[in-house]
Amino acid sequence: MNTTNDYDVIVVGAGHAGCEAACAVSAMGLSTCLITINLETIAQMSCNPAIGGLAKGHLVREIDALGGIMGILADETGIQFRLLNRSRGGAVQAPRAQSDKALYRTYMKKHLEKTQNLALFQGIVTEVITKNNKACGINTLEGYKLNAGAIIMTPGTFLNGLIHIGTHNYSAGRANEPASRKLGEHLKKMGLRIFRLKTGTPMRLHRETIDWDQFKAQPGDKNPVPFSFRTKKKLKNKVDCYLGYTNSETHKIINNNLDKSPLYSGIITGIGPRYCPSIEVKVVQFPHHKRHQFFLEPEGLDTAEIYINGIATSLPLITQKDILASIPGLDQAEILRPAYAIEYDAVVPTQLYPTLETREIENLYLAGQINGTSGYEEAAAQGLMAGINAALKIKGEKPFILRRDEAYIAVLIDDLITKGVEEPYRLFTSRAEYRLQLRIDNADKRLIKYGNQFGLIRPAEYEDYQIKQEKLNKAKHFLQTEKITPEGKETITLKAHLKKPHVSYRDVTRDKQPDVNLSKEEIRHIESEIKYEGYLKKQAKEIARIAKLDKVKIPEDMDYKKVSGLTAEVVERLENQRPGNLGEAKKISGITPAALINLHIYIKIRQKNRKRSKGTC
Amino acid sequence: MFEDTIIAVSTPLGFGGLGVVRLSGKKSLSIAKIIFKAKNNKNRFLPRKTILGNLYDFKNNEIFEEAYLTFFPAPKSYTTEDVIELSCHGSPVILEEIVRQGIKNGARHARPGEFTLRAFLGGRIDILQAEAINDLIHASSLKQAKISYHQIEGALSRKIIKLRSQIVQILSQTEASIEFPDEGFKISKNTIANTIEKTEQTIDKLVKSYDLGKTLAEGVTLAITGRSNVGKSTLFNTLLEQERAIVTPHPGTTRDYLRESLKIKDSIFNLVDMAGLDNSSHPAEKEGINRGKKIAASADGILLVLDSSQKASPEDYRLIRKYRNQKIILLHNKCDLPSKMDIKKTIKLGSGMPHLEISALKRTNIEKLKEQIHSLFVRNDIKGNEIILHLRQKLLLEDIQAALLEALRVLKEGFPEEIIVEEIRKIQPLIGQMTGEIGADEILDNIFSRFCIGK
Ligand SMILES: Nc1nc2c(ncn2[C@@H]2O[C@H](COP(=O)(O)OP(=O)(O)O)[C@@H](O)[C@H]2O)c(=O)[nH]1
Ligand SMILES: [Mg+2]
Repeated sequence: MNTTNDYDVIVVGAGHAGCEAACAVSAMGLSTCLITINLETIAQMSCNPAIGGLAKGHLVREIDALGGIMGILADETGIQFRLLNRSRGGAVQAPRAQSDKALYRTYMKKHLEKTQNLALFQGIVTEVITKNNKACGINTLEGYKLNAGAIIMTPGTFLNGLIHIGTHNYSAGRANEPASRKLGEHLKKMGLRIFRLKTGTPMRLHRETIDWDQFKAQPGDKNPVPFSFRTKKKLKNKVDCYLGYTNSETHKIINNNLDKSPLYSGIITGIGPRYCPSIEVKVVQFPHHKRHQFFLEPEGLDTAEIYINGIATSLPLITQKDILASIPGLDQAEILRPAYAIEYDAVVPTQLYPTLETREIENLYLAGQINGTSGYEEAAAQGLMAGINAALKIKGEKPFILRRDEAYIAVLIDDLITKGVEEPYRLFTSRAEYRLQLRIDNADKRLIKYGNQFGLIRPAEYEDYQIKQEKLNKAKHFLQTEKITPEGKETITLKAHLKKPHVSYRDVTRDKQPDVNLSKEEIRHIESEIKYEGYLKKQAKEIARIAKLDKVKIPEDMDYKKVSGLTAEVVERLENQRPGNLGEAKKISGITPAALINLHIYIKIRQKNRKRSKGTC
Repeated sequence: MFEDTIIAVSTPLGFGGLGVVRLSGKKSLSIAKIIFKAKNNKNRFLPRKTILGNLYDFKNNEIFEEAYLTFFPAPKSYTTEDVIELSCHGSPVILEEIVRQGIKNGARHARPGEFTLRAFLGGRIDILQAEAINDLIHASSLKQAKISYHQIEGALSRKIIKLRSQIVQILSQTEASIEFPDEGFKISKNTIANTIEKTEQTIDKLVKSYDLGKTLAEGVTLAITGRSNVGKSTLFNTLLEQERAIVTPHPGTTRDYLRESLKIKDSIFNLVDMAGLDNSSHPAEKEGINRGKKIAASADGILLVLDSSQKASPEDYRLIRKYRNQKIILLHNKCDLPSKMDIKKTIKLGSGMPHLEISALKRTNIEKLKEQIHSLFVRNDIKGNEIILHLRQKLLLEDIQAALLEALRVLKEGFPEEIIVEEIRKIQPLIGQMTGEIGADEILDNIFSRFCIGK
């Protein structure tokens, strides 16, 4: 678009965020360069060989509906598939898959290589070039300089990454990959506030050295549910995972070696995720637990590496070996890669706009772990949103901001930028106010229109979606009009009957069927819509009510200090966030209803005074 | 501008003989039309015209009070919205019932200062006045409670905080079972049901303590009873130090009851003067007598007045016997006149009830009487563990209780966990009005500290 620039957009880092960002920008017709330290580790899964799970699986569905790539690739490279929470309702069911890591990397690389408008480039970015506080290019360690209209930074854990194994540590972005030290320093100099986080990964074991008879197999689903609406082929399970437990001997070893853990000796200062604690944290914090469970998960089909999910640790290698030796079945296991903890820099995410552009530096977008999140899915979702928004900005179009009642993606981004984070942020379904609305079975209904609008969804795919909706409407109409007389009960519509707990679509259509054939996926959708109907209607009203707060605009030159009754803390938060309207202000943590009312009063007074002074002259 | 219609008692409880309940908002008129039926049967509410009618509990299909209604249509009202004012006898029970009926029919209880806030936002009052209400708005209900009832503040907040943590526990148990299906801990629906039941019991206790709280907040009700012409109204006026009740030498002057609050030291007493409790054939008097009997029966204390300048009549003896098991002071009035009464006999019949010879007219022993009232009727058994609730808090607690019971029902009918959470989530804004709102992070915090997550 811009002839003086080398590219419209440069994406720094080809992890899960960067790949989505680069694909979105190029699919939106802009020239894109994706720069990464090592082309061999594109879309590397740094930790567990799995995608999805509760809330994360929801994210993947949403990414897919918007035209992102994670869902398709996860289906392509998955080797075991499960739909979690099958015993519960549709809103809290989500797919999870074991991935073949190497395959995932290869497929992603292939995909990027054949993507139009996209240049892949191996290099180490050291600086973001700015002019008048606007990002306009990058410098690399190799001495290249590239100009662009927008920069999307997705450096993962590479910013000043520091790996700990026992009391030993070294600089790295991932095991044995160089960290981005200069870039980290550079971002600080640019005025971005940085904080330190920590995460960890367990050891990888050699398959042939494990006594598999000691563990219980965890097979995949009989009927795998894909991530992508666009996946048409039947998915197959190719591996099992295995369940095992630590024991009191293991815990004794850990307790005896705590002094060698950088977590407990005070070497690690970054804050780790509580939902994914290392084994030493689990043992210390839950001393009454006699055992902790772990899963053995294959890293792929073409490798002997086994990921031991549940025993992340930063204890020294010798202790790691002792831990394994204490567990029957792993006592002979060989460690191929030791477990380690990693500390890295993240940018305080409250410095971002909802578009993921930094408030400090225009045209600089951040996505993924740099914003304090953890997880491939969280990263990919941000990457996609940053990519779409960077492209829209360059095209001079309106930004794309989702609402919390529309998508988990919005819950994620909104939480980040309004509340900030203290530990690596992971999405949970309980973070969503409108959980019953944000389901995997309606992700397309919620979002595909946007994917279509931005050109990320192909016309044929959109047509498929519309055909599906027609089918669903027919089925819904059928359920609404046809009646049933349950044994000894009054005659009711099929729909009313389906609303009852433990009654399924199959149950109500046993005698009469609609003249459309629904897939399992579509049946799940119908069931959710009907079973949750009452709640969804109520929530729709609430959403409309809250939307009114969004209409009360906060003037740009607002001086919060002048608003009476606001505490200094509230004033500071508001000044940092500069919400555009009362709805946004409401979401900022620490903003009480009283503060909101005071703000509302102040805005009204101002408006009135303005009107008055206008009237007199 | 505001969507909700709000309702609240707008005269302070326990003060004055008249109570006013105010409604403001779009639905004011339609709600009033449900709960109020004009006497002239037309139910036409003309702007600013006061009409007499009955308050109506349409669900139970019964009239529960007579009241005056005035309709102030928008924008010419205090709040600039449609406002309805209902005034009636200031009995707290009645006022509470009106508010409850209003809420049942679509209003919500006003937050502190909310009428004034609306008045301001509607442009009815100026900035200075608005600044003054800022404090009011700022005071959370809990803080408010602290200011009003500082001596027992700790107890209520402790209870509410306990309740809050119980609700956090319900949510974290349920959410943990949803969010971490692979973690190897099983939280059965029974466990969740138990937690809900326990919490419901906590609330039930709190709500039941309301009547006690009411006594504290709104004063102790003292009924002045006795036969006609013994000097009840005189005593009423003397205690209040104002001419409130009409006193005449003719029996049967006071046909209905009068209610005023009396402050003795730091305590508030609701003094009720009523018709004499003798047998009467006059229908209006009969009605008054019946009311009087009811009030006396439910009062927290009784001042039974005898005229010692007269011989004790069988009716006097009957009254002594009738009330001797209640908290009571037997008063031998008109002690300025020569006694004709066998005072000892009446005392004996009262089996040791506290007694005092007074002259209501000449103020003899009135200070002593006040002291006796204070020491006898003030509740000094209220210590740190007792709590008091505002009507607003009570209604909030009842809503929370209802939500819990609904969650329990849904759970027992076999609906899945995420539905149970939806029901419990209804509590969040309610609890938020009493103490801090429960956010997603707090529930996750609780889950991580209680359950070992991270396989
Ligand atoms: N001498 C004297 N007369 C009193 C006293 N208290 C009331 N009276 C008179 O008794 C009459 C009836 O009084 P009132 O208060 O109306 O009696 P009620 O019918 O019990 O309310 C009035 O004429 C009062 O002035 C008192 O203590 N001494
Ligand atoms: Mg009288």
